[in-house]
Amino acid sequence: AGIVCRTLSRVVSSQTSCCSSVVSVRHSHWFTSILSPKTSVPLRAEPKKKKKVDPRREQMMKERLKKKLKKLERVPPELIPIEDFITTAKCFDETRVREVPKLSFEETERRALLLKHWSRYKFSQHQAEMAEIKEALEAQRQALEELKIESEDLYKAAIGPDTDLFPFQHQGPCYTPPIPNYEAPDGKYNDITRVYTQ
Amino acid sequence: AAPFRCIYRPLWRVITGSGRLTVGMRNISFTENHFSATNHKTASVGSPWTLHGAVCLQRLPVISQDRNPIEEEFSGLMQQMELERSLLSDHELRLLEDAARMSRKQEEDYDSDEEEDYGDKEIVTAQDLEDAWEQKLKQFHPAQRSNGDKLDVSSSERCLADSLVLLIKQDVGSQKVWLLPQVQWKAGETLRQTAERALAHLPADVKATFLGNAPCGFYKYKYPKDIQKEGSVGAKVFFFKAVMCSPNHLPLEKNSFAWVKKDELKDFLTPEYLKQVNRFIMSL
Repeated sequence: AGIVCRTLSRVVSSQTSCCSSVVSVRHSHWFTSILSPKTSVPLRAEPKKKKKVDPRREQMMKERLKKKLKKLERVPPELIPIEDFITTAKCFDETRVREVPKLSFEETERRALLLKHWSRYKFSQHQAEMAEIKEALEAQRQALEELKIESEDLYKAAIGPDTDLFPFQHQGPCYTPPIPNYEAPDGKYNDITRVYTQ
Repeated sequence: AAPFRCIYRPLWRVITGSGRLTVGMRNISFTENHFSATNHKTASVGSPWTLHGAVCLQRLPVISQDRNPIEEEFSGLMQQMELERSLLSDHELRLLEDAARMSRKQEEDYDSDEEEDYGDKEIVTAQDLEDAWEQKLKQFHPAQRSNGDKLDVSSSERCLADSLVLLIKQDVGSQKVWLLPQVQWKAGETLRQTAERALAHLPADVKATFLGNAPCGFYKYKYPKDIQKEGSVGAKVFFFKAVMCSPNHLPLEKNSFAWVKKDELKDFLTPEYLKQVNRFIMSL
């Protein structure tokens, strides 16, 4: 638009120049054309006195803002709730209480005796397991001693770590043996775990 | 029972500390069971014992063991106690509501508009859901737990609930003897490599993971006098444990291979050999 105005003013001035001398006033540098756009800063105003104070003021403003931001950020982030520790409201629902039949004396006696029997059984099982493990360790220790007597090199090779062993994976026992060539159906599921971000 | 993966056998890193003399150095000749005078000092130049490496290949249990009577009783008690101390679940609440609604329907002054959340006429009661689930379960046919006594000793699918060890009938000297697969040690290889070679010599192609570099046991025997050459009094066998990775159902010869449980070992092995082997084969 500026260019258009300037060309227009030139056209106008060229047209009017031949008409009257009043037009020549327009060409003087004291009068800027009305049609020309006011693009430049008014050069005739007071000289700027705010050159030093303004940047300082702006800097002060920025610092103040930054300090406020830092104060806000210093607040510790909200802790992520541990879902396992929160008892759901469902558990406090009174309609869910189960009616428990009262136990007879014989039943309580039977339970107490069974628990004692169980603890004895488990203890003996534990002793047997520990003894077996101890025996196996002893056998290994003696084997290594014999090997040391035989040859030092083989002994050192035997003592060295086995890098290929770990990570060790083995499919544990299930209730029924695996069916050969079994195609399991697709298990679709909706994952509703809540993910928290700090 | 939920399946659990990643058993890992504890790595036994045994470090022989002080040089304690081994107690009870046994010298057993293979043919006769007499105990000769103890032979503490090993040979002056080199050792007179030829070394062998043997592999104790185990097939770990595939299914869980059956419960003892005490275990059955206790698990029953535990389930009962858990049930008594629990709250009603959503499904059970739904069952109760359905039952209540049914009983209200039977009454004469029944007004279906009073029902809240009745929905449309089609209702799937919780009982129907249960029946549908039962039907679906019946469609699945799991494999049989026990194969019965159809399988003989040479099959590796024998007793799925126990861990089995592979035995081989080899000729030692002049006799055929059942023992763990063993092979003589060659110079320049570690004993574990000997054991791996012993495994490779089997006709069956099994993939096994060796559990560590250290031997788990050893067995020492003297050759009978007539075979004793100069420089070899007897042999020392070092056993290495290995776990079979994938079940391989290649049929093995009946008379020379056997997959054996721990308590069946005594039917196959000689007493002294059995004594040493029983120490590290675990029936856990």
